[in-house]
Amino acid sequence: MVDVSRVQKELTECNRDREVSGVSITLHDGSTISHLTGTIAGPQGTPYEGGTFVIDIRLPGGYPFEPPKMQFITKVWHPNISSQNGAICLDILKDQWSPALTLKTALLSLQALLSAPAPDDPQDAVVAQQYLRDYSTFSATARYWTEAFAKNSSTGMEEKVQKLVEMGFPEDMVRSVLKSVNGDENMALEKLCSG
Amino acid sequence: MAHDASSPSTARDAKKKRIRGNRSAKLKQSKLDVRREQWLSQESDPSSVWIGLVKDGKEVKAVVSPGAAAGANSGSPILASPHPPLPRRRAEIRTREGDPEDFKEDSVGASQDVGSSDHESPLHSPVSYNPPIGCLQQKHCSGNGGGRSFSSGSSAWSSSRSVTDSDDDTGGSPENDDDGVLDDWEAVADALSVDDNHNHQDPVPADPPVVPASCPVPANAATRQEPIKSSTRAWSPDDAFRPQSLPSLSKQVSFPASMGNCWVAMGIGSAQKGVPSKPTSCPICYEDLDPTDSSFLPCPCGFHLCLFCHKRILEADGRCPACRKQYISASSGGETVGSEREMGNLRLSRSCSMGPRY
Repeated sequence: MVDVSRVQKELTECNRDREVSGVSITLHDGSTISHLTGTIAGPQGTPYEGGTFVIDIRLPGGYPFEPPKMQFITKVWHPNISSQNGAICLDILKDQWSPALTLKTALLSLQALLSAPAPDDPQDAVVAQQYLRDYSTFSATARYWTEAFAKNSSTGMEEKVQKLVEMGFPEDMVRSVLKSVNGDENMALEKLCSG
Repeated sequence: MAHDASSPSTARDAKKKRIRGNRSAKLKQSKLDVRREQWLSQESDPSSVWIGLVKDGKEVKAVVSPGAAAGANSGSPILASPHPPLPRRRAEIRTREGDPEDFKEDSVGASQDVGSSDHESPLHSPVSYNPPIGCLQQKHCSGNGGGRSFSSGSSAWSSSRSVTDSDDDTGGSPENDDDGVLDDWEAVADALSVDDNHNHQDPVPADPPVVPASCPVPANAATRQEPIKSSTRAWSPDDAFRPQSLPSLSKQVSFPASMGNCWVAMGIGSAQKGVPSKPTSCPICYEDLDPTDSSFLPCPCGFHLCLFCHKRILEADGRCPACRKQYISASSGGETVGSEREMGNLRLSRSCSMGPRY
């Protein structure tokens, strides 16, 4: 039901300039095109700078006439993103979605949301209150979370993959598992051993 | 109404004329002079007035008093039939020139009338294109007791005769002079981007001879000279008397559709926005747009999409993907789609014709 040709074109188009835009999309597990993984680079000059944020993308059957379902996998401290489950409060992912938008533009919008929080319309009330009342603490927390969760997954990823592959696991499985556990080496190993 | 009918035909004539070029125009000029002599020798005066009226259309015809119209009617068939469009227009121009003088001779030496005709004569030139000015003329005529001046055939006769006589007097000698003026007129016409060369060429050869010829004539000289001068001035680009409607007129002539202006007003904005960035594929489904799709503009914002995606959107929330405004409701959808497509086509053609100007 998903417009496969459109999604495929979107993927190639988005990944063509991933270095410039800081946004990329890959298939989540290679089997279905309706489950994707997006990554965005933390915008410069924000507490999210230097981080790479992974977003789970699920395309409903009506895509592109219905908005894609997006959720942060990477934990992020942001007024409009749930610190619990990564749910995103962004109008274009809800009622303001337009079929003229694409996955890339949606991800770019998320990138913009990271640099311009809207605490008056919060997803996470605690974070929003902190943002409004004590910005420095908010900023420090966000930076810490970026450091702890958003950099982990990207930096040293190749090393981790290398390590796990050397342990005898197939590379694509290692990569997907690492991705699913947000780059946690030990959890990935556990998962690989159990599954 | 009369304008709609007349302007395309004159434009067509003009194009043909233009193709034929300068040389043939000169040839025609000499032929016309001969013909004119023939007319003048055989015709009675009201008919010349009538010919002008035929050209200008109904409004002016209404001005003419019944008696004059009847007299003119009797005269017109003789003239109109042997001389197809070109001579007819020529005659019309002559009567045009005659008109102001007409007033003058009627209201003998009334300075008011002289002044008013001075103002009017520049307006006369575009009369054949512009209904408003035609109406103006009509008003003017009635204000001056125009019915009388028109019906008094003798004055019209004398004026037209004086013009042509003088033309004949100088007809042989200043060929070079004529040429220079002709070129000048063409330059002016180009500057104005008016398609119709015909009307510019015609009055000119008649005009300059009049000036020197009328100079020796003591009584009417001053009054006669002025309107003709101003009529030449009327077409010069820097002229104060040039009717304000002139630029828009040239535009109107170039528009094929009578509704052109209304579409253009809507079209230009979106043409500027929409056409340069016109997609080759549907931005929604990424399929190639066929000609039907690419001329399909369901939203005034100019967002292109294919018919399938449009239908799909109408089934859902029915808002334009680009501007998020509601599409026109589905019940009237069929009709609006049709008209919108027409609009799209018009925009396209318009943008094409506008292309070189940007």
